[in-house]
Amino acid sequence: MDLDKLLETGDKCIHTEPPICVASCPVHLDVIAFVSEIEKGDLKKAYKLMEKRIPFARLIGSICDHPCENGCSRKDAGGSIRISDLEKAVVQFGYQPQKKALELPKNKGQVAVIGAGLSGMTAAVDLTKKGYMVTLYEKSDRLGGRIWKYEGKGLEKGLIEEELQIIEKQGIKVNFNANIDHSGLKELENEVDAVYLGTGVWEEVLKIDSDTFQIEDTSVFAGGRLANKNDSIIASVNSGRRAAISIDRYISRVSLTASREREGVFETPLNYKVDKEPFIASIEKKNKYYSENEAIMEARRCMKCQCRDCINGCTHMQTFNISPNAYVRQINHNERIILGTHYANKMINSCTQCGLCKEACFLDISMKDVIHETRESMVEKGKMPLSAHDFALKDMKFSNSKKFSMVRKQPSKEASKDLFYYPVLSYSKYAKGLFRGSGKTGFLFYPGCQLSATHSEHIGEIYKYLVGTMKENYIEGDVGLYLGCCGAPADWAGRQDLMGENTQNIKKVWEENDQPTFILACSSCISIFEKYLPEIEVVSLWEIFDQYGLPQRNIKPGRRVLNIHDACATRHHSNVHKSIRNIVNSLSYKIVELDYTKDKTKCCGYGGLVYYANRDQATEFIKDRINESSEDLLVYCAMCKDLFVSGGKRTLHILDLIYGTNLDGLANKKMPTLSERHYNRTKLKMNLLNDIWGEKQGMDMMNHVDFNLIIPDDIMAIMEDRYILVEDIQQVIDHARKNDECFFNPEMNQYLARLRLENVTYWVQFEEKDKDVTVKSVYSHRMEIVEE
Amino acid sequence: MNGQSDKDITWVCHKCNQNLALKKVKVRYLEGNFEVELMKCTKCNMVYIGEDLALGKMLEVEKGLEDK
Ligand code: SF4
Ligand code: SF4
Ligand code: SF4
Ligand SMILES: [Zn+2]
Repeated sequence: MDLDKLLETGDKCIHTEPPICVASCPVHLDVIAFVSEIEKGDLKKAYKLMEKRIPFARLIGSICDHPCENGCSRKDAGGSIRISDLEKAVVQFGYQPQKKALELPKNKGQVAVIGAGLSGMTAAVDLTKKGYMVTLYEKSDRLGGRIWKYEGKGLEKGLIEEELQIIEKQGIKVNFNANIDHSGLKELENEVDAVYLGTGVWEEVLKIDSDTFQIEDTSVFAGGRLANKNDSIIASVNSGRRAAISIDRYISRVSLTASREREGVFETPLNYKVDKEPFIASIEKKNKYYSENEAIMEARRCMKCQCRDCINGCTHMQTFNISPNAYVRQINHNERIILGTHYANKMINSCTQCGLCKEACFLDISMKDVIHETRESMVEKGKMPLSAHDFALKDMKFSNSKKFSMVRKQPSKEASKDLFYYPVLSYSKYAKGLFRGSGKTGFLFYPGCQLSATHSEHIGEIYKYLVGTMKENYIEGDVGLYLGCCGAPADWAGRQDLMGENTQNIKKVWEENDQPTFILACSSCISIFEKYLPEIEVVSLWEIFDQYGLPQRNIKPGRRVLNIHDACATRHHSNVHKSIRNIVNSLSYKIVELDYTKDKTKCCGYGGLVYYANRDQATEFIKDRINESSEDLLVYCAMCKDLFVSGGKRTLHILDLIYGTNLDGLANKKMPTLSERHYNRTKLKMNLLNDIWGEKQGMDMMNHVDFNLIIPDDIMAIMEDRYILVEDIQQVIDHARKNDECFFNPEMNQYLARLRLENVTYWVQFEEKDKDVTVKSVYSHRMEIVEE
Repeated sequence: MNGQSDKDITWVCHKCNQNLALKKVKVRYLEGNFEVELMKCTKCNMVYIGEDLALGKMLEVEKGLEDK
C-alpha cells in the first residue's frame, strides 16, 4: 500500500480546519472551545482560554472590535454569535487573578520597546516571556496609550490600572517621559539587539514588511498603527505579538519568514453550510453585560462549525468517533506495525464500503477506497484476521460449488415440444418463447446467491417470464440461467486472489455462451460486474420489468405509503432508481423519499461484510436507517430486507409487491437462517433442473444421515450468532456415531462430540433417543488441539 | 488457558470408558504454539474443551493472535 499517497489523502481532509470566526480573529481565540465552556457554565475556564490568546485579556476582551463576528456562519440563521459580548461577560464573571508566574532567566538578549501603547506593551510582555530583557520607553507619564480613551466607555479606571500592572509583574523596566526621536532610535540600535517601534506616528515614512514587521533589513521592527494604518484594537495588539516573534527569530538568527502563513487573519477552507440549521435569533442582553444565563443561551447558538459532512451520514465513523484525517493516521500506523498488536483491524473491518462518505465530501475524499485498499494490503501481508470474513467466504465457496452453481441454456425446442400445442401456445408467453428458441444465448438470468436463498420460490417464475418477454422482443437471443455468487464477499474482504478466480469463471461462462447480456437482480452483482467484468453487458431485472411490463399476474394494487431504501451498491445507477420508482408507482403505492436517498443512500449494514466482522456495528447501521424511516420500507436487495426485518422494521422487497400474496405477512417475515439459505439454494437448483430442464437430479445433493436431527429454536438462534450451520453439526454427530468418538455424561445421559472441519472445531452436546438426536448446545473454536 | 471447572469432570470417554485426566496438551493457532493443561482421555488422547473455555479464554487468545 502506498502510505505516502494514503497520508496525502488524509491531509486533504479539512475536518480539523478552524471555523471562519477563529480564522478572522487576528490572535485566533479558540472560539469553539470558548463558547463550549460558556455553554457548560464554566466561565472561569472560558476566561483561561481568552488569557491564553489575548494579551491583557480583560482590557482587550472588553473593547475588541471583533472582526471574528463579521463572517460567522450563523449570520444568516439568526445573526452572528456575539463573541464580543460573550467575552465581556466572561471578563466580568470568569476572571481569576493569575498565579504568580515563575521568573524565567532573561538571558536571550536585550530589546528596547518604544511606545507603551497596546502593541508596544504586547511586544514587551511576549518578548519577556520568551526570555529577553526588555526596556519600555514611553513619552508620557503613564502606560496604556489609547486604552485610556476607553475609560468610562467600556473600561473602568480601576480595571485599567490593575491590568497594566502586568508590565511591572513581568519585571519590565519602564522609562517614562522618554521622547525617542530618529537620533535616539539610532543610539538604541547600537545598544540593544533589537528595537520595537510602537509609537503610532513617526517623523519619517517607514518601509515596514507586512509579514515580519521588520523595517528593511535593520534590527528595528514596527507595529501598531505605524504598520496597520487603521484603528483596529486587535490588529494593533496582533502586530506587536507578531513583531515579537520576528524579533525572537532575528536575534536567534533563524528564518524570519518560514512557516508563518497562518499568523493573523487567514482564509479557512471550511465553508460551513447552514441550509439545514434552524434559525435561532441572537440573545439580546438586558443589561450592560450578558448575564451568565444569557451568555449560556447565546453560546448555545454557536454551531461549533467544523466539517463533518461525511461523518454526519456515516454510522461507522460515528461509532468509532473518528474523522477521515484521524482514520488515515490510524491506518498508516496499523500498516507500519511489524511486531505488536494491530489495534485498528476491527475498525477497518467495520466500514460497510458503502461510499456515502465520498458523496458527502466536497473534496471527493473516499474512505471506501482507502479502506478497501487497506483490506487488500492486510490480506497481502497475511495480516487480515482470519475469523472476520471466513464464514462469508465459505458461503461464497458454497454458492459457487455444485450445491448451487449451474449454467443452462434455454430449454431447446426439441426438448420442449410437449408444450407446443393449442391452447398453451396461445396464452403462455413462456411456451411461445421456447417455441421461438434459436439455440443462441442472448441473455443469461443471474439472480445471485442471496436472492436465490430468500426468494427462491419466485426464481423459476421470473425465469419463465424472462423467456417469454425477451423472446417476444428479441427474436435472436435465447434466455439462459446461471446460478452462482458474483464474488462480492471476496471483494469486500480484500481477497483479490479469490476475486480474480471468480471473475475468470464468470467470464468463461460468458464466452462459452455467446457472450450474452446478463440480467441481474442484485445490486451487489451489478456493482461487481461493473468493477471486474466491464466487458459484459448487464441489465437489471427491474429495468426489464419497467420497460416490458410486469409479469401477467393478478397483482393487487397497493394503497400504502412506502419509503424507498436504495441499495448502496447501486447508488450511481439512476436507471435502477428510476425503474424501481416506476414499478412502485405503477402498482399505485405512494412514495415518500428519505433524506438519504438515491446517490446519497445509506447502507443497511450488510455491506463490506460488517455483518460478519462486527455484528454490533451492523446493528447500529440497521437502527440508524430504521430510525430515519416512518413508513414501511421498500427495498430491492435481499440482504437489505433481511437486516431491516431483523431490526423489527416492516420491509417489503420489490419482488414481494409483484409475486407476494400476503403483503402484511411478508413485511415482517423472518428471513431464512444461514443454514436455510444453503438448503434453499440447493433446493432451488434441484427444482429448476427438475421443472424446467427435466433433469431428474438425484437426492444426493442433500446430505443424508441415519438419524433425526432435532434442533430447538433457542439453539438455532445461538447457531446463527456463532455462524454454525446445521450441516456442520450434522457432520459432527454423524462422525461421533460412526466412530464412537465422543464424551459421555452418565448423570445427564448426554454426549459431547467434536469434529474439525477445515479450520474450525465444532462441538455438539446431544441426547439420543432411538433415531432422534436432540441438540443441547453447540460451540466452536479455531484453535487446533493436537491430540497425541 | 486453564479454565476447566469441576463440573466438567463428569464427562468420560465413551469409547474407552475412561475418566479424563488433566494433561499437558499442545494447541496451535496461526503463528502461536502453546502447551496447556487440559482434560483428556489418557487412552485415546481425545481432548475435552468446554463451552466456557472455547468462548472465553480461547477466543480471546485467538483474537489476540489474529491482530498480531
Ligand atoms: S457559529 Fe460559532 S463556530 Fe461557527 S463561525 Fe459562528 S462563532 Fe464560529
Ligand atoms: S464507505 Fe460508508 S461506512 Fe465506510 S466510511 Fe464511507 S460512509 Fe462510512
Ligand atoms: S467531508 Fe469528511 S473527508 Fe471531506 S473534508 Fe469534511 S470531514 Fe474531511
Ligand atoms: Zn478414549
